[in-house]
Amino acid sequence: MRFYLYLILFILGINAGFGAEKKAPAAKHVKAVLVVDSASAVDVRHFDQSALNAYRKKPEFQYKENTPDISWWTRFWRWFWHWLDSLFKSKAAKGLPTFWDIFWRVVKIFLLVGGVAALIFFIFKSQGINLLGIFRKKPTGAPIPYSEFFEDINAINFDEEIENAIAKGNYRFAVRLLYLKCLKHLSNSGLIDWQIDKTNNAYISELKNQQQQDAFRMLTLQFEYVWYGEFLIDQQAYKTIDSSFRDFNRQVA
Amino acid sequence: MEEGIFEQRTDLGKLNAAVNQIKATLGTIIVGQQDSIDLLIAGILADGHVLIEGVPGVAKTLTAKLIAKAIDAQYSRIQFTPDLMPSDVLGTSVFNPKTIDFEFKQGPIFGNIILIDEINRAPAKTQSALFEVMEERQVTIDGKNYKMQEPFIVLATQNPVEQEGTYRLPEAQLDRFLFKIEIKYPSLEEEIRIVTQQHQHKTNDQLAEVKPILSKEDIISLRNQVRGFHVEPKILEFVAKVIHETRNNKSLYLGGSPRASLAVVNAAKALAAIRGRDFVTPDDIVWVAPAVLRHRIMLTPDKEMEGVSPDDIIKQIIQKIEVPR
Repeated sequence: MRFYLYLILFILGINAGFGAEKKAPAAKHVKAVLVVDSASAVDVRHFDQSALNAYRKKPEFQYKENTPDISWWTRFWRWFWHWLDSLFKSKAAKGLPTFWDIFWRVVKIFLLVGGVAALIFFIFKSQGINLLGIFRKKPTGAPIPYSEFFEDINAINFDEEIENAIAKGNYRFAVRLLYLKCLKHLSNSGLIDWQIDKTNNAYISELKNQQQQDAFRMLTLQFEYVWYGEFLIDQQAYKTIDSSFRDFNRQVA
Repeated sequence: MEEGIFEQRTDLGKLNAAVNQIKATLGTIIVGQQDSIDLLIAGILADGHVLIEGVPGVAKTLTAKLIAKAIDAQYSRIQFTPDLMPSDVLGTSVFNPKTIDFEFKQGPIFGNIILIDEINRAPAKTQSALFEVMEERQVTIDGKNYKMQEPFIVLATQNPVEQEGTYRLPEAQLDRFLFKIEIKYPSLEEEIRIVTQQHQHKTNDQLAEVKPILSKEDIISLRNQVRGFHVEPKILEFVAKVIHETRNNKSLYLGGSPRASLAVVNAAKALAAIRGRDFVTPDDIVWVAPAVLRHRIMLTPDKEMEGVSPDDIIKQIIQKIEVPR
């Protein structure tokens, strides 16, 4: 064991001895000498000036671009796009942007977008175009070409209107007024709930009293024949109908 | 009472008798469904085609078959399948070696009453074959027109539940149906009557006993009569307002067409005839409007997702418009 240890130390010692830097010999400094050839004749050559001028006149060698004068409109747009670019340009090259850099940039972007939106809005508004309708799936229709007039039975002076209609011999219209008057009477009595969308049958169904319902059904039939069916009636027929309406109104009261 | 004051200007005796007889005959076999039967009769009187929709087993096909049986006319039945071709419906030109020429072999569409069962099982190609014949009552094949015989009525059935192997009917075709009748499940009382009838083996016997009530000529004559019924101008305006409103309603993606306006008026006239009048009232309009419009309008996707039905929207629209009086 000891032998191997000595052997290893011996080998390492040899390596260290060989690996040691040998001292370099001192370099011999030689002074540089400039040799001048004074005997040979030097022929200096020059560019042919005339040839150069000839080349310069050729269009192929005209490197200078003749830029036309920039109009104010082009300059404006250049400025605009430059300004727009500056809004969105990152300042990373100049270092990290501060909070205020980002804040002002956002404010500027909002102002720009808002300004453009307002401009578009005013243009469309002035042209009478509904902006909201553009984004809707279904365009809103044209204004309804018919008049939406809801007849209020409470605002009609029935007795006067019926007298006028009879005086004119318009018994059809008089029967219509008799029916509307009857509906008003029923509504005021709380027997029906007057609504513009309800049909005559709906009012018949609303009457709870069977006798009243039957009587009103008959009156409705008369009204429908005269008004919707346009069955002609004379004074005699009108009197019969008027009498049945009066009987019913008394019955309800 | 009205007979005492008003002189009848139209003889509705034959029409009323026929309608009552059809209703009575169908009533012995079909339990309930009175409104559907009224609409079917109205469809025939108004010269319209009828689409019957309902879940399986609610007697859609039976009702249509019974109506067809009640009319003494040429009856065809076409079972629509996914592989059905237009030529299977309309007909095709076949080479005849004797005459050395092509001869047109008429398809099952050439009849008076055509029952198309499960219409939504055929693809759009076959559905399109029905466009011309349903609207113009003619078929054009190889540049030649073949006119349909009057009356020409298409009664189609479809099942709304099944999705696999079915095709949604094109809007253009739906618009050609006068009515879409929705057949609902029967009430408990009606269901008991159905089961009892079946238990007593009544239905099958009665089905075979149904005899024709109206001839082709009767239908043509009644239709002409109904066409001339009186409609007050304010009621026409009311119809126009309703249809116009469907085109402006925010819940609807597609509103009613002018054909829908005409359909409402024609259907209301037919309903007035069934109710024994020769003039239309607002009640007739309100009653037929859902059946005429429910398949012609399209809800917006959001309303569809909310579960709103076309009938709900039609009701809302009618509620906004003053009934003429």
